[in-house]
Amino acid sequence: MAVFISAVGFGVVTAAILAISAVGFTLQFSVTNVFNLAFGSVMTLSGFVAYWLNHAGLNIWVAMAAAAVSGGLISLAINEAIYTPFIRHGLNLFGMVIVTISVAVIFDHGLQAAVGPTFFSYTAPAGKAFRFADFVLTRQELIIVGIAVLLTILVQVALQYTRVGKAMRGLAINASLARACGVPTRGVIALAWFVSGVLAGVGGVALFLDISTFTATTGSEFLIVIIAAAVLGGIGSPRGAVLGALVVGIVTEVGAAYWNAELKDVLAFGVLIAVLLVRPQGLFSRLATERAIAR
Amino acid sequence: MSAATQYYIATIVVYICVNVIGAWGLDLQFGVTGVLNFAFILFQAAGAYTAAMLSLGPASASGGFQHYLVGFKLPFPLPLIGAMLVGGALSAVIGLITLRRLRSDYQAMVMLVISVVATVVAESVVGLANGSAGLSLIPNPAKSLTGLTLQTQNWLFVGLCVALMLIVGVLMYGLVYSPYGRVLRGVRENEAAVEAMGRSATRARLQVFIIGGALAALSGALLAQFIGAWAPSEWLYPETFVFFTAVIVGGRGSISGVAIGAALVAVGIQQAVQYMPIGSDPTLLAALEWIITGLLTLIFLWLRPQGLLPERRRRYLRRVKTGFAATKLQESAGT
Amino acid sequence: MSVSDAGEAPVFDSVSAGYGGHEVVHDVSLAVGQGQIACIVGPNGAGKSTLLRAITGDAQFLGGRVWLGGEEISRIPSNRLIKRGLAWVPQVDDVFTTLTVRENLELGGFLLPRKGVAARVDELLDTFPLLAGMTSRVAGRLSGGERKLLAIARALMPAPSALLLDEPTAGLSPEMTGLVLQNQIPRLSASGVAILLVEQRALEAIAVSSRVHVMVSGVIRASREAHEVTDWDELARVFLGEQ
Repeated sequence: MAVFISAVGFGVVTAAILAISAVGFTLQFSVTNVFNLAFGSVMTLSGFVAYWLNHAGLNIWVAMAAAAVSGGLISLAINEAIYTPFIRHGLNLFGMVIVTISVAVIFDHGLQAAVGPTFFSYTAPAGKAFRFADFVLTRQELIIVGIAVLLTILVQVALQYTRVGKAMRGLAINASLARACGVPTRGVIALAWFVSGVLAGVGGVALFLDISTFTATTGSEFLIVIIAAAVLGGIGSPRGAVLGALVVGIVTEVGAAYWNAELKDVLAFGVLIAVLLVRPQGLFSRLATERAIAR
Repeated sequence: MSAATQYYIATIVVYICVNVIGAWGLDLQFGVTGVLNFAFILFQAAGAYTAAMLSLGPASASGGFQHYLVGFKLPFPLPLIGAMLVGGALSAVIGLITLRRLRSDYQAMVMLVISVVATVVAESVVGLANGSAGLSLIPNPAKSLTGLTLQTQNWLFVGLCVALMLIVGVLMYGLVYSPYGRVLRGVRENEAAVEAMGRSATRARLQVFIIGGALAALSGALLAQFIGAWAPSEWLYPETFVFFTAVIVGGRGSISGVAIGAALVAVGIQQAVQYMPIGSDPTLLAALEWIITGLLTLIFLWLRPQGLLPERRRRYLRRVKTGFAATKLQESAGT
Repeated sequence: MSVSDAGEAPVFDSVSAGYGGHEVVHDVSLAVGQGQIACIVGPNGAGKSTLLRAITGDAQFLGGRVWLGGEEISRIPSNRLIKRGLAWVPQVDDVFTTLTVRENLELGGFLLPRKGVAARVDELLDTFPLLAGMTSRVAGRLSGGERKLLAIARALMPAPSALLLDEPTAGLSPEMTGLVLQNQIPRLSASGVAILLVEQRALEAIAVSSRVHVMVSGVIRASREAHEVTDWDELARVFLGEQ
């Protein structure tokens, strides 16, 4: 039982990192329909921004905030400079997937050429360990979980109650009608890319803190798990992404504790594929065809 | 010609043949029919492992220094045929799961996930195919012929690869320009029309998924036999992207175009970076290869999405288009 | 046709429209008086909807001009049209299906001052009492008629001066058709909104309209005051393409 509880504890931390990233991934996808496989590269790049600031003497949480801003700007810049021109050029959505992979490959390997194939880590103390029954979490892990809870609630509340949030949901489901209401679609789309990049930045730093060492391709490697969480929850639904992240996080860590640490991701993917076979629209998306930011 | 030069040329030719065969497999799926198989590299790996296990003999025979699921010592060409059968069968299983049930955007994601899962499994379950160290000492069929010099054996294998590439090429032409090929292009262009003609688009997708998977496996089998080794690092999921680039650069749906694209992208870029004045740091060279591949994809998608040698459109179609332009106009006016 | 005469109402001046460069609608000129209902009727595929879709950016605008309140609106981005007072209800995809009824209305009032939105939603719920009982229901689960009323209410949120309705009764039950065509639409025009109505159900549409335009093969074949259209034989001939 103790093993199980401590595994759930690790699972919650993994889920927190996954949730931040998966919400960012799914939010942007629902608004723009671009399946952005360069999301992991944005995580890595902003993770490196934090690394440089951190090694210049900045506190890791301040560095994380800077990574969030730069993630947002990088994401926005990729969309404005590459994706939007390609969409205007008439490329279809599958062509766009290839474009996003190209961008990921260029960014990851460009970064690798610049920093080399070595491992990097932040200088940040894990902090005091807190014990809740058999749950042991460090101060650092607690802060990460806190940030995840805060950010996912913030996104949810913004989407649910603010004017621009409602416009974003409207745009996701019916862009033409959103224009009829006077929604400035370009601006809202840009905002979605920015917010998605901010979440990628925070998610990237949180991930790199959690796994302690990272390389120029770590973000892209982790992206598959993020996609698994987003798809599991029903792609396009931020609430689903949080729940998907919880399932994936806890299943992988419990699997690692009881079965095989190396195969923990396989278990998560197994759950994903099994779920998709039963519910092709994902666990928590109620309207299969009319996905978008459901609720 | 020195032995080193001969070996270099032989290597280039084998790599071209292997990549052309693989790229044709993906072209059939992605170029001709429009199926987005992001797990493509998995089927190449399946072929490589199968050919290895069908020719290495029992794992215990070589002193047990490497572990794998099963081992047989079958004569040429059985390991190659076995590889294609396994590649096709694996495609059938994965195709049945993904192509039949899932929406097309989910299909792409799930394929990606399957590709990653397969690598993780192959790395962690050592008993399957010797884990991340991979299999080595994979026999080359030409080298089992005794009484020949090493160079003659090498050239024999080159001949085998070229012959297989030509056979696959002839079959590709037969398939793509047959009435069946028209159905496949129909699935890509207008699925509803295909279904209206009483053909099942899903079945057509599944069929090219299997044929393409078998071709990927054949290319993997030849590659493993030539290198003599095969490990998970050879088939990480981004490798699939190289084949996509080959198809896009060559020309989606165009057989000769994709052959050129495969030679250029999969072999040409790698050779080109060797001669660039950037030193010989392998990480830097590999990174540069990837960057060039990515840039090439973007440039072609922007400037020449039809590729170097575009897919041939049958000539009468063009005549129909111009001749009936006026009618077409009125038709669209009617909607 | 003089622009200044039309006041707030929309004027179409030899408009051509189509898709992918193919002209489907040719040289259409018409005007809708303030507080009036003009309808465009015609056989299926005549280009009626294309005309509206060209204004709203869902089809190509290929020539001519459209005026509203003395300002040209032909080529401004569709998300700025509502600022000029032009609202529209598309034939399909007319509501935000995953949003609630209230959220649909709130989004309709996207450009209203923040403080005014709730009051305006209440006003419209008074106008459409059927919707008042289902404000928290998701729009995708409404019946066809409820959905169409919501779409119209959503379009009315910013109090537009002109409203384009693209086949509002398509797919509705006979009772709902009656409610929409004979009840709601005349009430709207009475409140001063200029309405351009595209309708498949010609007779019902003519009955509530002040002016009727018959469109065949992308061209306006005949324009009449609605009360003058008594000769149904003539209408039928125009419909069939005989001048």
